[in-house]
Amino acid sequence: MGIHVSQLTDLTTQCIRCGFCLESCPTFVLTGEETESPRGRIYLVRSAEEGQVQWQDAKPHLDKCLGCLACTTACPSGVKYGEILELARSKVGKSLPKKALLTGMTRPNLLRIQLKLGRLFPSKRIPALLSRLLSGQTPEVDKPQLPAKKSFPSLDESKLPPIRGEVFMLEGCAMRVLYPHVNEITRRMLRRVGFQVREIGQGCCGALHAHNGYLDEAKAMRSRLYSALSGDIPIIVNSAGCGSWLKDGDRSGWVFDASEFLLQEGLAEILAREGTGGLTRVTYHDACHLSHGQGIRSAPRELLKAIPGLELVELEESDMCCGSAGIYNIAQPKMARELLERKWKNIESTGATIVATGNPGCHAWIAQAAREHGQRVEVLHTLEVLERSFLRPRSTS
Amino acid sequence: MVSELGRILSPEQVLSGPGAQRAYDCDAYSVDRSKPMCIVLPESTEQVAAVVRWCAANLVPFTGRGAGTGLSGGALPALGGVVVSTKRMNQIVEIDIPNRCLKAQAGIANKRLSDAVKDQGLHFAPDPSSQSVSTLGGNIAENAGGPHTLKYGVTAQHILGVTMVDPEGEILELGGKVPGGPGFDFFSLIVGSEGTVGLVTEAWVKLTPLPTAVQTALIAFPTIRDATETVAEIIASGVIPAALEMMDRGILVALEAAFGLKYPEGTAALLLVECDSNLSAEPAGELVQREIETVAAICQAHNAIDISIAQDEAERQKLWHARKKGVGAMGRLAPSIVTHDGVIPRSKLPEMLDFVYEVAERHGVKVANLFHAGDGNLHPCFYFDDRDPKQVHAVIEAGEEIIRKCVSLGGSVTGEHGVGVEKQDLLPLMFTPDDLRLQAMAKQIFNQGNLCNPCKILPTEKSCVEHKKRWRGVAW
Ligand SMILES: Cc1cc2nc3c(=O)[nH]c(=O)nc-3n(C[C@H](O)[C@H](O)[C@H](O)COP(=O)(O)OP(=O)(O)OC[C@H]3O[C@@H](n4cnc5c(N)ncnc54)[C@H](O)[C@@H]3O)c2cc1C
Ligand code: SF4
Ligand code: SF4
Repeated sequence: MGIHVSQLTDLTTQCIRCGFCLESCPTFVLTGEETESPRGRIYLVRSAEEGQVQWQDAKPHLDKCLGCLACTTACPSGVKYGEILELARSKVGKSLPKKALLTGMTRPNLLRIQLKLGRLFPSKRIPALLSRLLSGQTPEVDKPQLPAKKSFPSLDESKLPPIRGEVFMLEGCAMRVLYPHVNEITRRMLRRVGFQVREIGQGCCGALHAHNGYLDEAKAMRSRLYSALSGDIPIIVNSAGCGSWLKDGDRSGWVFDASEFLLQEGLAEILAREGTGGLTRVTYHDACHLSHGQGIRSAPRELLKAIPGLELVELEESDMCCGSAGIYNIAQPKMARELLERKWKNIESTGATIVATGNPGCHAWIAQAAREHGQRVEVLHTLEVLERSFLRPRSTS
Repeated sequence: MVSELGRILSPEQVLSGPGAQRAYDCDAYSVDRSKPMCIVLPESTEQVAAVVRWCAANLVPFTGRGAGTGLSGGALPALGGVVVSTKRMNQIVEIDIPNRCLKAQAGIANKRLSDAVKDQGLHFAPDPSSQSVSTLGGNIAENAGGPHTLKYGVTAQHILGVTMVDPEGEILELGGKVPGGPGFDFFSLIVGSEGTVGLVTEAWVKLTPLPTAVQTALIAFPTIRDATETVAEIIASGVIPAALEMMDRGILVALEAAFGLKYPEGTAALLLVECDSNLSAEPAGELVQREIETVAAICQAHNAIDISIAQDEAERQKLWHARKKGVGAMGRLAPSIVTHDGVIPRSKLPEMLDFVYEVAERHGVKVANLFHAGDGNLHPCFYFDDRDPKQVHAVIEAGEEIIRKCVSLGGSVTGEHGVGVEKQDLLPLMFTPDDLRLQAMAKQIFNQGNLCNPCKILPTEKSCVEHKKRWRGVAW
């Protein structure tokens, strides 16, 4: 028997089976099954790659993986699980419904049409048919709501610093349809620290495709996007999943999550000076692709804490996936629901009135739990919380 | 089998098929592999008992499994059969702060026990480096130790009682909340039996006050000898550190790659020394200060090139993080590792380590060492490519040679990782045939029919020889 060599084998042999990743993996914590753990999945991928088992035997377990990357944070051995997963998924064969769903979600116009159509149907859960096709399980995801139009007062020019540079802002397929005001807020925040957005027509970055195994397509999409955003200026991203994927590409040095860029450019000082009180208890949910994907944990927290009078309460298991995970909540409704309920319980027990997060997927999924549980906690993008602090009248006390 | 077990439990508590069988065919000791027929995930003592009764009635072998971090193949289903996973039994059942104990299910991760009582100033003292994942049941089965074993003792000293299912499927309560009790001490036979005399489902564990004062120092030495000689002298001085750990160059390289940690130029070995006390605050601080100063003086006398003492808890955690994740970080150096485990009298450390490096070189395998030096508990860690059968065999041979040397120096074939399948053929080095027969009889009494974790600990029984050919060293 010669030594088997391939990119996947090389990546998987990094795993020495120490098990340190087990308790950080949401699917292992919920099921206790080795096959639903990072170590088990890596072992199965290596076994399939080297012909010890069939890819079909590994597939159900790869399907159940959230791609949350909590295992990479826990792993002392430096296993690149994200790469293993993307490569393995591209090998196990594609499913047509999944592809249709991805297309629907990553073309803003299509997504808008779906949302409008969704309103015409009586059922509460939108992608019922898709969910059944993908998982054979009962769907859990609510029809997303088209957002109410929000408008903001124009910025007070007298308070703004002079413009010192230009940036691109990724509008994001989901963000621009579901939470367009977050994009508007991002522009406002950037302006507050002296940056102007160079507006440009842009397509999908391919993140969702990549995380579901359509690697070649995803890379082509990323290249197309990069060429649209040509010019050596920072690319600011307010969706964690997109940021994480873009940071893997050639232009990685130019890509920044909005929170890290804004903190670096002095927004915390401005918040402390000009932000107003009135927001009391806030908690923060770490989107997987921010915390595990990009290692960004403190920037959003520092910005929130800079708001005068705001008390940031730490969320138990704050960096455990909420189950949204791209299209996971549609493809694996049962597991996603369990994770959502666990997340919600932790959120409620903080006693916070707002939970902030930095990714549209988490946002929509946790907001669904909020609706189902009586709206006791409001779900907002981190930047929305910051914007509120600027909008509130400054208290005189 | 699957459908019958599915009826006894529920279908979704039984896993089968090639994927699951593969995933459960080894633990963290990946040299030997053998796949089970199926895996069950019971949720209560009664469910475990029901599964075991079914196995006993149908003569199907079964093997308990916690987190599968064992390093000697303990959770390997040597004769196939059923793997009984405790990972859906991970609840704390009762916490009794006044009596400083708690009861938990066997599948809970060790560290969660300590986390649960942290605010009350208590912890579960056994701290294997794998504590963030390895389970209470696995710790009991292996009588796990850890860095703080030197002062606080191994798992056995911290277990008050267990609920277990014997190999016939009967539920037994041994020991209890209070120590002592009349009759034979069967209970100490259970701890360390590597899951061969029944499955532990719940346990009462002792809670120990967290230290009120602690000092942690990391000392760099220019040669291995300087470090090893220091170890024996620290203990001889009368100071009993809470922990006394050693790491050599190989580990430093891995740690540097994994966490970007930097060590003084010319470092060949590091000692991590921790002194603590839980006396009431004032005298504790002074005592610990005095102890760490004594340690520092001894280190200086042995040519230490750098002594850094953690200034706060964050710094202390950082030092420990590197130690605890050190073996994991070895994955940066090679595709596979095997961590050996042998014990020698502390005074023989210098001689022993020289031997380890010499053996590794002779067999053409690479080795790094990070271990509980204060206990004389050695962990030579071989790193190699498990896709190459030649390397696999070289690693097995080098390991056996090292263990033989431990025994010849008056030590033992295992300190804390257990015998499992890895070391069973080495036991005759330590025991006479009569001793072994006696041990076999003890095992027989509890494990008639040898269905409960067969082919483990004792030198290969006849029924296992043929099977063993199938899984020994198959690695990949
Ligand atoms: C990186 C790393 C560091 C380690 N550091 C240490 C260390 O410092 N000290 C140390 O002592 N060990 C250490 N180990 C070894 C290992 O973690 C311990 O042996 C641990 O106790 C195993 O626990 P587990 O839950 O993983 O058990 P498993 O590996 O699943 O099983 C171990 C044995 O216990 C039996 N078993 C499991 N659960 C039960 C039960 N409920 N009832 C009866 N039998 C059961 C199994 O059959 C098997 O024989 C380390 C391992 C790794 C990978
Ligand atoms: S922590 Fe890393 S090396 Fe250890 S089992 Fe998990 S993936 Fe493998
Ligand atoms: S990506 Fe998340 S769900 Fe997948 S194996 Fe890693 S920790 Fe588990």
